[in-house]
Amino acid sequence: MGLSILFGIFAIGLLSGMPVAFALGLATVGGFLYEGLPLFIGFQRIMSGISVFSLLAIPFFIFAGELMMQGGIAGRLVRLAASAVGRSRGGLGVVNVASSMLFGGISGSAVADTSALGAILMPVMKEKGYDADYAVNVTVTSSVAGVVIPPSHNMILYAVAAGGISVSQLFMAGVVPGILMCLCLGVVAWYIAVRRGYPAEEFPGWRALVISFAVAIPGLLTAVIIVGGVLSGVMTVTESGAFGAIWALLVTIFVYRELTWAGFKLAVISAVRTTALVMILVATASSFAYLLALYRVPDNLATFVTSISSNPIVILLLLNLTLLLLGMIMDMAALILICTPIFLPVVVGLGMDPVQFGVIMMMNLGLGLCTPPVGSCLFVGCVVGGIRIEQAVRTIWPFYLAILVALMLVTYVPAVSMTLPNLLK
Amino acid sequence: MTSDDTTPMRDPFHRMLDLTARICMTVAGVQLVALIAIFGWLVFGRYVLNDTPTWVEQAALLLVVWITFLGGAAGVWNKAHLSIDFVREMLPPMVRIPLRWIAVLGVLIFAAYLAWYGWELAGKTWRRRIPMLAIAEGWRAVPMAICGVLSVLYSLYHLAMLIRGQDPAEH
Repeated sequence: MGLSILFGIFAIGLLSGMPVAFALGLATVGGFLYEGLPLFIGFQRIMSGISVFSLLAIPFFIFAGELMMQGGIAGRLVRLAASAVGRSRGGLGVVNVASSMLFGGISGSAVADTSALGAILMPVMKEKGYDADYAVNVTVTSSVAGVVIPPSHNMILYAVAAGGISVSQLFMAGVVPGILMCLCLGVVAWYIAVRRGYPAEEFPGWRALVISFAVAIPGLLTAVIIVGGVLSGVMTVTESGAFGAIWALLVTIFVYRELTWAGFKLAVISAVRTTALVMILVATASSFAYLLALYRVPDNLATFVTSISSNPIVILLLLNLTLLLLGMIMDMAALILICTPIFLPVVVGLGMDPVQFGVIMMMNLGLGLCTPPVGSCLFVGCVVGGIRIEQAVRTIWPFYLAILVALMLVTYVPAVSMTLPNLLK
Repeated sequence: MTSDDTTPMRDPFHRMLDLTARICMTVAGVQLVALIAIFGWLVFGRYVLNDTPTWVEQAALLLVVWITFLGGAAGVWNKAHLSIDFVREMLPPMVRIPLRWIAVLGVLIFAAYLAWYGWELAGKTWRRRIPMLAIAEGWRAVPMAICGVLSVLYSLYHLAMLIRGQDPAEH
């Protein structure tokens, strides 16, 4: 009964369009009242849920990404990608994927990736005769790299929700799957470009390539500092996040000289908004998770799932499907916080490493950002590209398929994600 | 930052509430910059001066709670929170309108709890000190109470809009 109250209030809240964080909080209050537990504890958990040291890295990552967006890194990365891979057929499509891979490593946010790179690349692509739907599809789907390739603040959320998984292992685990996904997307982008007869770019020469690389280095170093600091064990994830944010500030002010006062204020306000939304979710979700554990939801689900099938391949497929469907209707941060404590015991029971599951979850929920009915990347991409969502979705399927192929490889071949983190052990 | 250029009614309440949301965002913005500055100082102290400023970690945790709840309150006013609207908006008005009421009332109720327990938590921990910082532990819970009170006010405004037959999403 208590469980029905908890999920009932949550479901009605979601359906009514209540903010997810408030629906979680209200459901928790209902659960506490029904069980006669002191609500004081519930609200103490809301506080303690966000007073976690490693979560401090989240505002730093977000702010560094916002600064990079305002301060001119995106354009330099596009130039680098264009001189490196632009000469293939449909060059700008491949350039788009490659830029996402580079930018995703810095911003760690798929939506930032879509809006920053989309604003630069889409007009150029349209001018050169690419169809708008193609431009939107490539930009939107390749931006998923932002959540898979480290650093990614969503991975920190997962690490906290999973109860103390090593962030450096997660970061390492995301590298190969991120690159693999971009390779799959690159192949699809190239194939469609060839079929539609899009032009190739001219190779600007090795000198131009070296110059554009040199110009991009200070920006790329932001990612190197954050990831390097964590992996080397020299700094904590929070310290390297702060150092990365300060580095981004110095680069955009003194090296690129593109960060204006207005741009800085915009970066601060956007970072506050995103931080607050994510952290409020963390707060109420941690209280919600307390009740989930009390009702033994994770254990019961694990028993239920193994009663459906004892075949790990089938169970993993079902889990992927569930995550994918949930990702289509709900946003990433909320799902990571709600689903991790529920699904993790199931996959650990199958012998999967929690780190590998983290990458699987990022890819599934990342793909959800590009699908209707609720897909923030798809929405932003369509706005930037100036087309309707239906137009984009009609031709986006091959790109979804590319991500799904990468997802299946990561799910069923542990070595894809786990080789690098195992080297680190 | 707010949606006042699309506002159908710019009454004094609207202006006042809009101002509070702006103040929240500005204060939280300053706190974010402070957070990065003190953490920069921590990294510099630890790796360059070999003298770690121990107060930074506790101060940072306190700042994050403030940023979260101030930004969270402003998010209620600016409709910035993550939510799923499309299901409700697809349904016929007979169901859609009651669901809008539920959404606003739900926020109102939870916000009232936040305000109440934020206040209680602050009161109960006021005599304790935050380790390394010479301020009361209760300061950690103050933003929760502020977020609660402001969100109650914002949802009351949304409720008034519903009573007048307007959609709160369009203030």
